[in-house]
Amino acid sequence: MGILKNILTAVRGGASEVGESIVDANAVRILGQEIRDAQDAIAKAKQSLTGLKASEIKLKREINSLESDIGSYESKAVQALEAGNEALAVEVAERIAEIESEAAEKGAEHSALSAQVNKINSMIRQREKTIQKNGRELEKIKTVEQLQKATSSMSTNFAATNASEHRVSKALERVKKKQVNWEDRMEAGEWMEGEASGDDLDRKLKDAGIGANASSGASSVLERLKKKSGQ
Amino acid sequence: MSLNELAFKLNAHLTAEDTRFDAVLAESGVLEVICSNNEEFPINIVKTDTQLLAITPLFNVNEVKPEQVNELNEELLLISPAIPLSAIGRQGDSYILFGAMALDTLFENIVHELEVQAENTIDVLQVIEPLLL
Repeated sequence: MGILKNILTAVRGGASEVGESIVDANAVRILGQEIRDAQDAIAKAKQSLTGLKASEIKLKREINSLESDIGSYESKAVQALEAGNEALAVEVAERIAEIESEAAEKGAEHSALSAQVNKINSMIRQREKTIQKNGRELEKIKTVEQLQKATSSMSTNFAATNASEHRVSKALERVKKKQVNWEDRMEAGEWMEGEASGDDLDRKLKDAGIGANASSGASSVLERLKKKSGQ
Repeated sequence: MSLNELAFKLNAHLTAEDTRFDAVLAESGVLEVICSNNEEFPINIVKTDTQLLAITPLFNVNEVKPEQVNELNEELLLISPAIPLSAIGRQGDSYILFGAMALDTLFENIVHELEVQAENTIDVLQVIEPLLL
């Protein structure tokens, strides 16, 4: 299902009003139902797969045991032949033939079961793909619905402010002004820092007797006054 | 993280670039976030099953100079690749800037996305401002 096409058609058709559904509610319901059906089918398939796999393993074990019986009887038949007991060897050979036929039967059954297990496995994978695909489609619908929800709250804001012209320009201007204020504050902060460190430097210089006016303070005032009175 | 938790964490956060957030979860389930680096254009955050969507409403089509709507659309397409973290789109008659994040996105990365989206909003609007009424 090309859900995007569906969404675009709905949007073009004017389904942009608040609360109006973007996509046909039926389509969403069908999509959701398909996902649930596929999930149920997978659960059932997995259950029967477990049973089949158990039978397959059991058969394989039986085949292995038959094959080991064959091996064991073969060596016994050889021993009977070596002992010159042909009649016993024939009896053992007949037994081997019986077991071989049983093993072949079970082998065929095992192959059929393996094929079935593989088939169910691939069916499960197929269904899982369907679930993922439908899930993604559903996610697209939900995304558009959520976008619509988030946008609709501002649409009403726009409507309220539409009366004012140059809304965006004015807002940008305010943003810019705030940025300038912020930069000014940063600059002021830096200046303050500079001042503080400058004061510190002046103090250090003064302590070191560099740059400080030696005749500062009361003594310099007194000297100045003396000079004045001498005039 | 629920939108409520996200709001709580955003309100207590200060980014390395000194950006603060004012986040309020509205009754509609939309988380409205104002970033201090762009207080004029709030970001609305909503959640789907798999992602967080951050949407900044920009302007309505009726705020565009009518004879320049096509030009505006073309400019927006041209700007888009320059702001890969944000996409520009139209929802009904509203132009929006939006970004999507996976639900398991780290809080620090969500913050970064929001900060960038708020900046991108200003950048985009500055470019297309002459085409608006």
